[in-house]
Amino acid sequence: MNCFESRQEFSALWRNRATAERRAEVMAHLKSCAKCDHAFRIFALTAPVLHSESEPPAAVRVSAPARREFSLADRPRRFAPIARETPSPRRWVAMSAAATVFVMASSVAFYSVRTPHQTLGEELSMPSANFEAAADPLAPEMPVTESDFAS
Amino acid sequence: MTDKPDEELIAEVLAGQTDSFSELAARHRQRVERLCRRFFSDEEMARDIAQESFIRAFTALATYRAEMPFGGWLRAIVVNLCYDELRRRRRRPEELVGDFSAPEVQWMQLVNGATPEQIVGEAEERRESYNLAHRLLDTLKPEDRMVMVLKESEELSVSEIAETLGWSEAKVKIRAFRARQALRKQAERILAAEGRTR
Repeated sequence: MNCFESRQEFSALWRNRATAERRAEVMAHLKSCAKCDHAFRIFALTAPVLHSESEPPAAVRVSAPARREFSLADRPRRFAPIARETPSPRRWVAMSAAATVFVMASSVAFYSVRTPHQTLGEELSMPSANFEAAADPLAPEMPVTESDFAS
Repeated sequence: MTDKPDEELIAEVLAGQTDSFSELAARHRQRVERLCRRFFSDEEMARDIAQESFIRAFTALATYRAEMPFGGWLRAIVVNLCYDELRRRRRRPEELVGDFSAPEVQWMQLVNGATPEQIVGEAEERRESYNLAHRLLDTLKPEDRMVMVLKESEELSVSEIAETLGWSEAKVKIRAFRARQALRKQAERILAAEGRTR
C-alpha cells in the first residue's frame, strides 16, 4: 500500500467500512510512514464530526434519580416576573424600619435648618435680622443717600 | 412503517393524505439530523433546523420533481437552511482560541501520542473529540464549511455540491482547497502546541 491509497482509506477506517484485511494494511502503513501517520492524526481531529456515522457521544447529563419535576423556580432569570416569590414578612419589617429611620432623619435635618412660625402674628412680632442689626449700637451705619456716599 | 417508495408517499401527500408525510419524515429524520449535527454542535439547534427543514419540505412539496431522489431534494433544503444559519450567526473565521478544557487537552494528547487504532476506538466514546472537532470547523468561513461537510461527510462530488449550493464548480474547488488548507493549519497548530507542552 502506498501513501495515496492509505490516505484514501482514512474515512472508511473511521466509519468502520474497511474490511479487516484493508484495515490491517492501513495500520501497517501508518506504522512505517511518519508522514501518513501525521496526516492521520490531523484527520482524526475533525473526523468525529466529518466522518462519524454514529450519534455523537452524550454530553454530561443529570442522572435519573437526581432529576426532578419541572417547576417555575427552574426558569431562567429572564422569566423571573412569572416565578417571583411572595416577599417574606421578615423582609417587610426590615424595609419598614429603614423607611421610618429615613423619614425621621429627613425631618430632623429639615427642622434644624429653619423653624417655621406658627401664625402670621407670630411672624410679624418676631424681630427680623435687619432690625436687630439696626438696633445694635456697634453695628456700622449704612449709607442711605447719595451725599452719604459722597462723604 | 410501510415499504412504499418515497414517490408514492409524496403523491399521497399531494392528493390530500397529509399523514403520509409523517412516514416520509420518519424515514429521513435520522439522516437529516445527522447532517445538521455536522454543522452545529448544539443538539437543540440541530433538531430545530431538522424540524424546520421538514416544514419547508412539506410546504414546498408541490415543487418537487421526481427526476431527482427525494433525499437529495430534502438535503438541498437542509443544507441551505444550515448555510443561512451559519451566515446569520456572522461567524467570522477566527483563530482557534487556546482555552481548551481539560478533557479536550486529554483528547489532543491522545491524538498526538496514541496508536491510530486507539484513536479510532476512543473517539466514539469521548464527547470532547466531537466538541474539539466542532471548534476546529467553527474557524472556517460558512462557505468553506459547507463544502467541507458536503464533500467529506456526505461524499458528494464537486458537481453535486455545485448543483446543491447553486455555485460554479470552480468556486466549489477553490472553497474546498481553502477549507482543507485552513483546517490543516489549525490542526497542525494544535498538535504542535500540545507536543511542546509534553
